[in-house]
This record gives sequence, structure tokens and C-alpha cells, in this order.
Amino acid sequence: MPFLKKIYRWLNVRIGADEILEQELTGYRLPANINGWYSLGSVLLFALALQVVSGILLLVYYVPDADKAFASVTAIMNQVPFGWLIRMCHAVGSNLMVLVLILHMLSVLFMGSYKRPRELSWLSGFMLLNLVMAISLTGYLLPWSQLSFWATTVATNSFGAIPVVGGFLVEFLRGGKLVGPQTLGRFFALHVALIPLGIGALVGLHLFLLKRVGVSAPPFGLSDTGNQWQGDRYRYEDHPDGIPFFPNFVVKDLISICLYLAFLLLVVFFNPFIFFPKDAFIPANPFQTPAHIKPEWYFLANYQTLKIFPSELLGLTAQGVAMTFLALLPFIDRGRERHPLKRPLFLACSIGGIAVWIGLTIWGHYS
Amino acid sequence: MNLPGKLIYGWKAIVVVIMATLAPVAPAMAQGETVCVQCHSTQSGRALKPVKPWQGSIHAENGISCHNCHGGDPKDAANAMNPERGFLGAPRETGIPAFCGRCHIGIKGDFITSAHGRALGQGGPTCVTCHGSHEIRKATLDLINEKSCTQCHSYDRARTIRQAMEQTENTLSSLAGRLESFKGQGVDTLPLEKRLFSQRNRYRSLFHEVDTVKVKDESAKIALELTALKTVLDKIDSEHRQRRIIGVFAVAATLLAALLLLLLRRTYSR
Repeated sequence: MPFLKKIYRWLNVRIGADEILEQELTGYRLPANINGWYSLGSVLLFALALQVVSGILLLVYYVPDADKAFASVTAIMNQVPFGWLIRMCHAVGSNLMVLVLILHMLSVLFMGSYKRPRELSWLSGFMLLNLVMAISLTGYLLPWSQLSFWATTVATNSFGAIPVVGGFLVEFLRGGKLVGPQTLGRFFALHVALIPLGIGALVGLHLFLLKRVGVSAPPFGLSDTGNQWQGDRYRYEDHPDGIPFFPNFVVKDLISICLYLAFLLLVVFFNPFIFFPKDAFIPANPFQTPAHIKPEWYFLANYQTLKIFPSELLGLTAQGVAMTFLALLPFIDRGRERHPLKRPLFLACSIGGIAVWIGLTIWGHYS
Repeated sequence: MNLPGKLIYGWKAIVVVIMATLAPVAPAMAQGETVCVQCHSTQSGRALKPVKPWQGSIHAENGISCHNCHGGDPKDAANAMNPERGFLGAPRETGIPAFCGRCHIGIKGDFITSAHGRALGQGGPTCVTCHGSHEIRKATLDLINEKSCTQCHSYDRARTIRQAMEQTENTLSSLAGRLESFKGQGVDTLPLEKRLFSQRNRYRSLFHEVDTVKVKDESAKIALELTALKTVLDKIDSEHRQRRIIGVFAVAATLLAALLLLLLRRTYSR
């Protein structure tokens, strides 16, 4: 211990570690009425870290070659010590990460935390959602199973409906007319390099904005639930009477992380196959189309939307409009009120939107 | 009808109309349908007779259509039965094993060398006697039954053979089911499937054997191999059970950690 203390002292006199710890941990105050929903950000950081670690471990054995990819994943599942656990954590973790990300966005939405001056936080979060979905989509192809091959064929096909550039876009994504070895190479590069870099940069920006703008207090249990931002100049929203980040909120974060981990382990150990239909364990065969290929659950609403419109272009347009609306929400909803029950129009639209999304997802699953 | 009932009925009607509007238009010709099926379906009597049985057969299930056996051109109605396009028609009785044996090569060999095959053309059975000509089902032990066998001889010997093979059949089905289930869990079943496939083939070759001693001996050898395979599957099952036990501890440990942290959190004044 004295040795560690000596190292700390050595650091402290050089970079002022005491000051940093005071400023970022015990002195960093959060709203007194902060609730568990605020822990979802930390849960997401933990989930992301788990994906990175399990992903790196998978990279040791995975071979990104169309002739060897399926066999390498089979070897990971059957021969590599704890390979099944690492792969299942990675695959199930990606699904749960999307779920937690959606919950995080919904909590921000219902507590009005996206309102000014946090437009950039919302936008960066929204872009993160899209990048997480993109990294999931690209990762889906890597096992080179029947499911990955045909789900990617269906997913990339839909880009073809975009006027003028659609055909080019499909070929660009696939690296050819059809999904093939060249697609695997592209998706692998996107999955392990380009998209993670984008996610890392956006997480950095998101956290920077959180620290720079300050945490918004939940609108519950307050007399004035209006937005306090005045817009005349930059102000940090501090909470001098709030709770310290460390240890109070860190412990709350850790509780949420433990609960997330318990749920992840529950699925991984007892039924990870809810995310793996049988086609996920059959090697890709470009000459045999499986009967019922469906995308992952979070793409089912998009999949069903494309099916119910008379043309794919209309379906894509509808999705584009909905996503643009969601991205620009802080610029559209400029009211001061943040309490959801005092925003009946917002509440009705949000609940309606969620119901439509869930309805389309269920319809997509059974269609 | 009361108001809620009317509302539900109304909604159902709307949903049905929407679904009907959005449903894709059924193609005029089902995928894979040949001119043979199209033409024979519209005829009557002997010409119509094969269509329905074939549609319910294992051949239809695996995409084996009329032209695969009888030849001809399945895309050109005018020349569908033209010998110049390879049309063979129906084989003579003595030609049936060779006709079916073009695909079922090993089975043909088993049949020809069996007592049944040796009696070909002398009142003995052909493939279609037991399997049928168009209503062909997946070959199982059910094909050895009193009704079929007593067409020519007593059922006694056949019964002995069937009893000797029944246990093997059940073990094969059970192992195939377990392998299928493991496959859906990411287990590398390919080498095990190959082993099972080899034993199933060995077992199938007994289907045309009428020597009871040989059937019993061979069945015992197959049973030995299948027991070894079962041991491997039991080991995988045991590993999966162990994983679940570890899972219980892992989940309990994280939940316990959450509980302890919650108690710690309660000790803070704010």
C-alpha cells in the first residue's frame, strides 16, 4: 500500500489528481431528485465496453473469409475454451444494448431532457442509436450463416428503392451485384473499425456535452417543471444542493449495471436462442433461400413498413420522415414545459408512436 | 349485437379488407409446377390418377417431379411426351428396379441381391409393390406390415425382421431428433451427423434383406455404434447442464451484488 500511495503522490504533485477527483467525483453534483432512469447512460457505457472486450476476444479466432467464417464461428462455439460464452455475450449483448439505448432515449424523451440547450446531446444520441443499429447489422453478416447471408440480402435490397442512387448504393454496400465474399470483407471492416471509431467519437462528444451543459433535473417532484434555460449566454446547469456523483450516484449506477448484467447472464446461460433461429447455425448457401428470413427484432418495424406500403420507395420515405422528425425533435418541440403529464399533445403522440412501432414489430414477427 | 360486439366486428372487417388489399397477388402458376401436372390435372381417369398421390409424396416434397422419372420436356406441353425429348413413359414390371435404381443406386443393389429381387419376373415383388408408384412416402419400418407382406407369403418371418429392426429405428429417430436440437444450439453436429448418416444407411440396407439371422446380427452391430453416439450426445447434454448450474450462480452473484450495493446506498444520508 505505501508503494501505491507513493505512486499516487508522485502523480498528484504533477497533474493535481486530488483536484481532478474532487472536481469530477465528490464535487460533481447531480440533481437531488435524480432517478434510476439516469443510470441507463452508465449501463450503456458498460454494455459498450463489454461488446468491445468480447469483440476483441472473438477477433482472435474469427476468420473474415467467406470460406472459413462459418467454420471459425463454429470452432469458437465448440472448441475455444469459453468461446460459446464470449460469443453469446457479444450477440445477446448487442440486442440488449439496442434495448437499453431505446429505453434511454425514451426516458430522455418523457423527461423533456432533449429540450434546449441539449439539442446537440439529443442529436449525438440519435446518431449513436443509428450507428449501434448499423454495427449490429454489419455484425449480423459475419458468422456467414444462412440467416446472416439472407438477412443481409434483404436489408441491402431495400436500399435499391432509393431513386437515382439506389442501384449504386446496393452495389457499393455489397461490393458487387450480390451478397458475397466481398460483402463480408466490407461489413467486417465497417463492424470492427469504421463504425466503432464513429461510436467512440460520438460517445466522447455525448459525454463532453453532458459535462459541459450539465445534467438536467428530472421534472418530477418539482413545483416549476418548465425549462430554465434563458438562451442569452452559455450557462452550466449546476446543482449545488444535489447529491455527489461519488459515491452516491456511482453506487446507483453500479446497481443498475449489476441488474443489467444479471439479465444478460440469465439470457446467455438459459435461453440465448431467442436471438438465434435455426438458420443461424446453417452455413450460408446462396442457392437456397430459407422460407422465413426475418431481421433482428429492432428492424422488424422497418421491415414491416416496407411490406405494407405499395412500393418500397414509399416505405423508405415514411421511415425517413419518421427518423428525421425524431432527429429534429428538439428544434420542433420548443415549448418550455418538461413534465410529460403537462404536455398532453406530446404524450399522445409519443404513446401513439411507440404503440405503432410495437404493433409493426409484432406484425413483422408474425407476418 | 351490442356496441362492443359491433365495434369488434367492425374492426375485424376493416383488418380483413386491409389484409386482402395488401396481400400479394397469387401467381397464376405455382412455383415449380410443370406442364405435366398442369395437363394431367385437367384430365380424367387413368391420366388424372397419378397427380394427387404424387402431390402428397416425398418425391414432390423434395422437388422430384414427373419428368425426373419419366423423362420428357416439362416446359413444352406439345412435346412433353416426345421420346425425342427423353420421354420414357412407364417401365415394364421387370424394368422397375432399374427405373427407380437410377437414383436409388445402393437400394437397387440391395434389392436385386435379396430373395425379393431374385424372384423378379417370376411373381416376386418390385419396388412399387411395397412403396407404391406415385404415393411414395418416406421409407420406414411401417412398410413391413401384414397387409403388404401377406400379398405373397405369410407374415411370420417379416414380423421377426421388423421386431429386430424396431429398436434400431427408434434409436435412430431419437438420436436424429437430439442432433437436430443440438444443431439449433450451435453445437458442431456435422461429424456426429455423418456418423449417424452412415449407421442409418447401414440400417436401411437391411430393409430389403430377408435373412433373419443376418438382420439380427447387423442390427446388434448398429446398436453398438449408436450407443457410442448416444454417449457423445449425453456428454454434450451434461456439459449444457453444467453451464446452466454455473449460470444460476453467476446470476445469483450479480443479483446479490446489486442487493448489497442497494443496502450500501441506503446508508448514505442523501
